[in-house]
Amino acid sequence: MAKLLVELSNAVVGMDEARAIYLAEEVITEKYNIYQAIEQGLVDGMDRAGKLFETEKYFIPELLMCSDVMYAGLDILKPYLKVNQSAKKYKVVIGVVEGDTHDIGKNLVKIMLETAEFEIYDLGRDVPPHDFVVKAKEVNAQIIALSSLMTTGMEKMANVIQLLQQLGIREKFMVMVGGGPISQSFADQIGADGYAKDAVEAVRVAQRLVGKISFSCQWRI
Amino acid sequence: MSQISAKKRFLAVMNNEKPDRPPVICPGGMMNAAIVEAIQNSGTSLPEAHRDPKLMAQLARAVQLGTGFENFGIPFCMTVEAEVLGSQIDFGSLTCEPKIAQEKYGSSAEIDPADIVTLLGKGRIGVVAEAARILAKEYPSIPILGSLTGPMSLAASIINPLIFLKDLRKNPALAHGVLDYVTKLLIGFSEILAESGVTAISIADPTATGEILGPAMFKEYEVPHLQKLIAEIHRLGLPVILHICGDLSAVKPLLGEIGADVISVDAVMSLKKLKEEFPILKTMGNLSTFLLDSGPAARIQQQTGRLMQEEVDIIAPACGLSTSTPLENIRAFTAVVTRTS
Repeated sequence: MAKLLVELSNAVVGMDEARAIYLAEEVITEKYNIYQAIEQGLVDGMDRAGKLFETEKYFIPELLMCSDVMYAGLDILKPYLKVNQSAKKYKVVIGVVEGDTHDIGKNLVKIMLETAEFEIYDLGRDVPPHDFVVKAKEVNAQIIALSSLMTTGMEKMANVIQLLQQLGIREKFMVMVGGGPISQSFADQIGADGYAKDAVEAVRVAQRLVGKISFSCQWRI
Repeated sequence: MSQISAKKRFLAVMNNEKPDRPPVICPGGMMNAAIVEAIQNSGTSLPEAHRDPKLMAQLARAVQLGTGFENFGIPFCMTVEAEVLGSQIDFGSLTCEPKIAQEKYGSSAEIDPADIVTLLGKGRIGVVAEAARILAKEYPSIPILGSLTGPMSLAASIINPLIFLKDLRKNPALAHGVLDYVTKLLIGFSEILAESGVTAISIADPTATGEILGPAMFKEYEVPHLQKLIAEIHRLGLPVILHICGDLSAVKPLLGEIGADVISVDAVMSLKKLKEEFPILKTMGNLSTFLLDSGPAARIQQQTGRLMQEEVDIIAPACGLSTSTPLENIRAFTAVVTRTS
C-alpha cells in the first residue's frame, strides 16, 4: 500500500493520467483504504505540484495538468468513499468579479482549495457583486473569494464588501481577494480579510481565515 | 511651448535619438485611456465607438485631449481579432470594456482555419483601419498607435484558455498550429494598420507572462511567434512596443531575442534595473494604474518625476487603466512630463 501511495502521488506530479487511473483502479480491486489513497496519494501529489509551482519549477500549464490527473483519480475513487457526514467542510463562494472574464487564476485557486478539503461554490466569471452575497448567504459560506485580473474589477471587489456592510452581514463572512493587479495594500484599503498572491498561498490564507472564524464564533457564543 | 511635435518626439525615441524630453503615451488596446470621464466629454460613447470608425476616431481625439497623452491609441479593447476569428464578444458598456463572452473552440483540435485574407475583411478590422486613416489625415503631428492582442492571449481568446494552456503541454504540434494561425492574422492586421497610417504597433499579451507560462514554455511558444510577428511589422517600416504583464524575471534572459523596439512593463518591475541590464532595449512605463486610480495627485507627480529621473524612454501607465480613473489624476500624470523640458 505504501508503495502504491507514493506511485499515485508520483503520477499526479508526473502528469501521468493513464498511470493514475490504473493505480486508482488497483486501489479498488485490492480493497485498499480509499481515504488514504486520496489523501496520501492524489492530494499529496497535488501538494507537491503546488510546492513545485511555488518554487517556479512548475508553472500554470503544469499545475493544470497535475490537477487533471488528480481529478481523474478522484473520479474513480470517490464513488467508493464512505462519506463521513459529521465531517464539516468549510464553504467558499468563489468567482471572478464583474467586468472580467479571466478565470485561469480563479480556477487554480478553486482546484487548490478543493484539494485542501474546502467545499467550493463556483460562480464562474463576470459575476455581479450582488450574486456573491446572495450565494454566500444561501449556502452559509465562511469565505467569499474574489478574483480579478483587471484593474477594472478592483472596484467591484470593494463593492462586494460595501454590500455586505450595507446588509449588516459583513462579519458573517471572511472576504479574500487576489489576482494580477491586487496587492496586500489594496486588500487592506477595501477592508478585505485576506490576500493571496497565488493559488497555493490562497489555501494558507483560507485556512487562516476559517481559523479566525471559529475562534470569533466561539467568542461570540 | 516646445517646438518639436508629439510625433517627431515619439519617432526620435524610436530612432534612438534623444529628444528634449520623453513622450507620455497610452498605447490603446489592453492599455487604453478611454476612461469614463474622458468618454463623457467626447460627444460619443461606448460601446458605440467600438464599432464605428468616425466615432472611434472622435473618441480617440477626445481621450488624447482630455488626458494629455501625446498619442492616439486604438482600438479600445482586446477583442477585435478574437471576434474576427469567431469568438462571441460582449461589447460591454461605458464602464466595462468589451470581453470574450464565449471562445469559439473548446480545444486546439477543434480549430478550422479560415482564409486569412477573407478574415481580414471581417468584423472591426476595417473600423480600426478607417479610424486610423481619419486620425492620420486630421492630426498628422500626433502619433497613432495601433494595438494588437498578442498571439498567446489571442489563442486563449478563441480557445477555452484552461484547455489551451494544457494543450501547450499535451499537444505541442496543435498548439503551435493555433499560434501560427493567429499570428498570420495579426501580421495581416498589422499590414492593414500600416497602410492606414499608424505610427507604431503596440502588442500586449497578458496571457504570455513568465509567471503563467514559465521560461521554457515562453521560449518554446511565445518567443518564435512574437519574433515572426515583429519581424513582419518591421518589414512594414513600423516600430514595435511590446508590453509584458507581471513580474518578468523568469523570462528576462529572453527579452533581447524577441526583437521589440520598446519593452513596456508592469509596476512591479524596476525600469531602472531593466535599463541597466539591457542597455540596448528602450523602456516604457510604468506608473502604477492603481495609483492613477486612487491618487493622490501629489504621489502620482512624485512617482512620475522618479520615472523621468530614471530616464525611462517613454512614460506610460504600467497596465490597463481602470475605467473609473479620475481624469484629474491622469492630467496630473501627463502634466509632469509635458511641462518638464
